[in-house]
Amino acid sequence: MSYLLRLDGVHFDYQGHKVLRQATVDLAEGSCNALIGLNGSGKTTLLRIAAGVLRPVSGSVTLRGRPMETIPLKEAARTIALVPQQLELPFAFTVQQVVEQGRTPYIGMLRGPGRSDRMAVDRALDLADVSGLRHRIFNELSGGERQRVKIALGLAQQPRLLLLDEPTQNLDIGRQVELIDLLHFLRDEGITILASIHDLHLVDKNFSTVLLLSPGQPLASGSPEQMLKPSILERAFQCPPDRHPLLIERAELYRREAR
Amino acid sequence: MAIEIATVSSSPAASNQQGIPPEVSKRETGKLSPVALIVLLTAALGLVTLVSLATGAVPISPRTIFAAMFGHEPLSEMQRLILFHLRLPRVLASGLVGSGLALSGLLFQGLFRNPIADPYVIGSSGGAIFGACIGISFFSQWSTFGFSATALLAFAGSAVTMALVYSLARSAGKTNVVTLLLAGFAISIMFTNSSYFFELFDKTGTGNRVLASWLHGVIGIPSWTQLAVSTALLALATVAALPLMRTLNTLVLGDEYAQQLGIRVESARVYIILIGSLMTAVAVSLGGMIMFAGLIVPHVARLLLGPDHVRLLPVAALAGAIFLMLADTLARTIFAPSEVPVGVLIAFVGGPFFLYLLRNMKRSYAV
Repeated sequence: MSYLLRLDGVHFDYQGHKVLRQATVDLAEGSCNALIGLNGSGKTTLLRIAAGVLRPVSGSVTLRGRPMETIPLKEAARTIALVPQQLELPFAFTVQQVVEQGRTPYIGMLRGPGRSDRMAVDRALDLADVSGLRHRIFNELSGGERQRVKIALGLAQQPRLLLLDEPTQNLDIGRQVELIDLLHFLRDEGITILASIHDLHLVDKNFSTVLLLSPGQPLASGSPEQMLKPSILERAFQCPPDRHPLLIERAELYRREAR
Repeated sequence: MAIEIATVSSSPAASNQQGIPPEVSKRETGKLSPVALIVLLTAALGLVTLVSLATGAVPISPRTIFAAMFGHEPLSEMQRLILFHLRLPRVLASGLVGSGLALSGLLFQGLFRNPIADPYVIGSSGGAIFGACIGISFFSQWSTFGFSATALLAFAGSAVTMALVYSLARSAGKTNVVTLLLAGFAISIMFTNSSYFFELFDKTGTGNRVLASWLHGVIGIPSWTQLAVSTALLALATVAALPLMRTLNTLVLGDEYAQQLGIRVESARVYIILIGSLMTAVAVSLGGMIMFAGLIVPHVARLLLGPDHVRLLPVAALAGAIFLMLADTLARTIFAPSEVPVGVLIAFVGGPFFLYLLRNMKRSYAV
């Protein structure tokens, strides 16, 4: 199996606090991966390291076998797109102007966007279902609309690896379903996906691999069936088994399957 | 292989288009065509130049100026002296000052993602004042290439201060923008108030008068050499800024976002600070301390055209020149024969105007 991105024994500290320790991740080409874990367990840090915007203290990050630090920024930006949780703009940029920034890795300093850039922007706006918002001011959009615009910005980069930090944040259940459909569509197009997800209901049937970050533990990975066991979730999320509907539901499911 | 460009309807989300009310979907920030605005501003610049040349203690009608330009009617010796040795250099200098301040304001506001960033907030003004104080106090008779020691030391002060502010804000290979703004503000206040000590030790009072006019922002009558060098420097800085305008649009998303889009953030920041400092220094060396122009003009341009820096660059340059030419013409005529420092006039007119804009156009400054 060929790996698009590999994090090997990655370690990261922030102001003396160990955020990631010995994280090893292999992202296969075209795979759809969910990243789960407690708040503050290092999900965002791992995504930033995978995107190349943060350097690990130790360990290595390789993109198609090449060390990340040797890859020119623009080349990396044409391969990996990170959709962060937050985007605040100080000026009144329209949605279209924001999404056009996704073409930065393809546009030279002196050359304006060409036909292919405009088509890629239109396509990204359409895929994220924000074509109708293209002339709206980004700062005036709702949280859910902003979320979709950020995804469009990532898609305008035409990446091979899409990293999404809490993409379902601020989305109602209808838009969550649309987002999952979009992820399936992108996966079918051969794009590798790594998304940090809080809502574990969305993880079960929609992702091929689950990566679990637990405090003080090395990163664990496996299929949803392996990783969403109540015993694992109880420990990872430090949650009593009878206190959360998801854990009760999963325990019931596993009991039925065992019978 | 990149994502193939497919037809619009192939996306899973396309079928879920929301019904956006047409009146909402048509709301745009860019209200004017940039080309139309540039043509309009270029014509306005020509008109304002003519009006500024014609206006003064000795009026020379625009018709006379036109007739002289096309060789139909020669100017009298006095008119020639007033026009070519007094008014034209000053009008051109005010245009350069306006363009320099507006362009540096545009660059700094975009770079620091902050609508209040301008050459004076981030410390280059304080450094320029300090340099000018040294020039006025110790090297008042010295000049080279048409530049007085005051102008050159103001330039050096601005550049050294920016380097100091920048180094204070650097940590672990990155620049903290908030630290940079706060450090710039603190150094600006410290250096601005240092002028008091130079005033204290000036026994003759001559330096104080020069310093006072310089601190209030008075556009002098520069030599043609100084004008030529200033024009060349500003043109050079503007040409160097051109390819960075698209980068500024990306930097507005934030450092990390820009980096993951392939921008070398630290290099871009250094280039933009250098170019902005050069523009500020050109303006300061010709007109002293003129506040508000670098703040107001980019905002007005943004309100007219939207926030795209590529479109804003020529518009800010033209609008800045027009604004300062008009302001300086008013400053030298409104209380004639006395002259109000243009910096004071702009502060009194520009401050309320800016507050009015903020109050009425809050939408465009949403953070």
